[in-house]
Amino acid sequence: METQYLLGVFDSEEPMLAAFRKMKEQEIEIEDIFTPYPIHEVLENHGKKSKITIVGWFYGFFATIGVLAFLVYTAVIDWPLNYGGKPSNAFPSFLVITIILVIFSITILSLFTFAWRANLWPSNVKPIYHERATNDKFVILVNKEKVDEVKASKVMKETGATEVIEK
Amino acid sequence: MYNTELRGPLILGNKSLNQITEDITAPLYARPKFWWIVGLGISSTLMLFGAWAIYVTISTGIGTWGVNNTVGWGWAIINFVWWIGIGHAGTAFSIFLLILRQEWRSSINRAAEAMTVVAVGCAALFPALHMGRIWNFFFIFPYPNTRGPLWVNYNSPLFWDFIAISAYLLISASFWYLGMIPDFATIRDNAKSKVKKAVYGFFAMGWRGSVGEWKRYEGLSYILGGIAAVLVVSVHSIVSTDFAVSVEPGWHTTIFPPYFVVGAIFSGFGMVMTLMIIMRKIYKLEDYITNAHLDKVAKILIFVSLIMGTAYMTEIFVAWYSGNEYEIFTFFHNRITGDFTIQFWGMVIFNAIVPQLMWFKKIRSNLLIVFLISIGINVGMWFERFNIVITSLTKNYLPSAWAEYSPTFVEVSIYLGTLGIFIFGVLLFFKYIPVIAISEVKAVNKHQVKGKKEKVTSETLTEK
Repeated sequence: METQYLLGVFDSEEPMLAAFRKMKEQEIEIEDIFTPYPIHEVLENHGKKSKITIVGWFYGFFATIGVLAFLVYTAVIDWPLNYGGKPSNAFPSFLVITIILVIFSITILSLFTFAWRANLWPSNVKPIYHERATNDKFVILVNKEKVDEVKASKVMKETGATEVIEK
Repeated sequence: MYNTELRGPLILGNKSLNQITEDITAPLYARPKFWWIVGLGISSTLMLFGAWAIYVTISTGIGTWGVNNTVGWGWAIINFVWWIGIGHAGTAFSIFLLILRQEWRSSINRAAEAMTVVAVGCAALFPALHMGRIWNFFFIFPYPNTRGPLWVNYNSPLFWDFIAISAYLLISASFWYLGMIPDFATIRDNAKSKVKKAVYGFFAMGWRGSVGEWKRYEGLSYILGGIAAVLVVSVHSIVSTDFAVSVEPGWHTTIFPPYFVVGAIFSGFGMVMTLMIIMRKIYKLEDYITNAHLDKVAKILIFVSLIMGTAYMTEIFVAWYSGNEYEIFTFFHNRITGDFTIQFWGMVIFNAIVPQLMWFKKIRSNLLIVFLISIGINVGMWFERFNIVITSLTKNYLPSAWAEYSPTFVEVSIYLGTLGIFIFGVLLFFKYIPVIAISEVKAVNKHQVKGKKEKVTSETLTEK
């Protein structure tokens, strides 16, 4: 059977990081890395960028404008009501609702953005390359079409991979 | 990083990663224990009581409660504020400690957040029932209706409250679920039974722990952490404005928002303490929820208890200093002395005085005493809400308008019902969700092992 991927399986973080650094050095392209917990060196140096925090800021910015506009439209323009002679455009008390609803909007919108960008949704089935990558194994995945197979497997074995699997 | 031995280790026994997974997921695979089924039975009975009381309240009306024209807010509002307060711990715990990068949050945050979600749900029930005509509940949404459209009053703290509580419930639940996704994936990959694989696989949403997933996960955690920190403070400030904007003696003070927020964190941490001591005992999780964790929670309780004491004294001082006869009457003749002395002094003793015993290491490390103190804090905080709601309302301005208040069986049953919901929810959480955040604990474990190694080498160096 034709296999597409090469999996380097490591027992702990340090040898996996050693392999990661070495492969970066030798410019062997890494397809993906699966780890049981986030490892910051990998997240920062792997090359994948996430703009979710910036996007979150924009959600907040537009939500602020939207909520304030809604409050002003309903309470001042559409149907101003006299509550004990207080001004209809009660900006300070609008702020409370604005803060809460902006927090609410950012949460909902960035949750959906997260689900979309990280490709996660209920009952989603993605290929699981190594069953224990969510438990205690650290797995480096390379695409055999893009890299020199022999070189990659040599680096993995040198740095202490417990097994190198073709899949 | 957290390398010092001084404050005690966060995970005991040099665990391997696989062992962490097995230790924490063991209760999920085990058959339900006898105590669990008994607990489920008791809480279901309490919930049935609550359901009956809610039926009576809705079908007959608020007249079945002990509230009257003078004392318009009774047990419902006391319990609402009490539950919301308890619900604050989860988010306070997760969020503040996440932002401050305190690693010791990792063993406790999952359970604290579970507590939050259930407690806020219980809290939300009370104002909804207090509306009386609950079938007109949707009037509170600002929607284009056929009555004008008549929009809601955005200047009313009661409307702020509605917005804040619903947002808080949703956001704490999202944050909780987000943290569980990697752990559900772990269970999906480790479970033997096909049903478990399918169910947890459904909720794991295809998580594999890849770089892209972790990166966005961390980004989203910090977004939610940053904004929810604001939310925690603002929700209880808003609850306090329900009181503070009313011209009632004892309510109309500017100290209320910080006083309520601190009180909420205090009662929440008290409940966290109670729950953690029970949880580590029944699931034998002493290696993960170590004495060091409980010690830290105890220290926070001491500090917050001091703030509570200061707030009580400030209130009394300001009442006297204002020279306002109604304020002076409320504080000096209706709280410190008078009909409600038990509640007032109960509040002071349980919240401000007894927790101070934990300054002594001997008391702080005796878990039975700490457990009793934490229960005392929950009782004391209930008394505090009783003081605020009932003493101010029963005797305010005109003696001709004074009235007595005592709860009816229906009101008490609703409260028992929410206790049932809380216990039921926590029991389900114990059985079906990993009680400790597995992936986070693994990351903490790494630092622990690293720290130990560094320590050993430096010691051996000095010896040489």
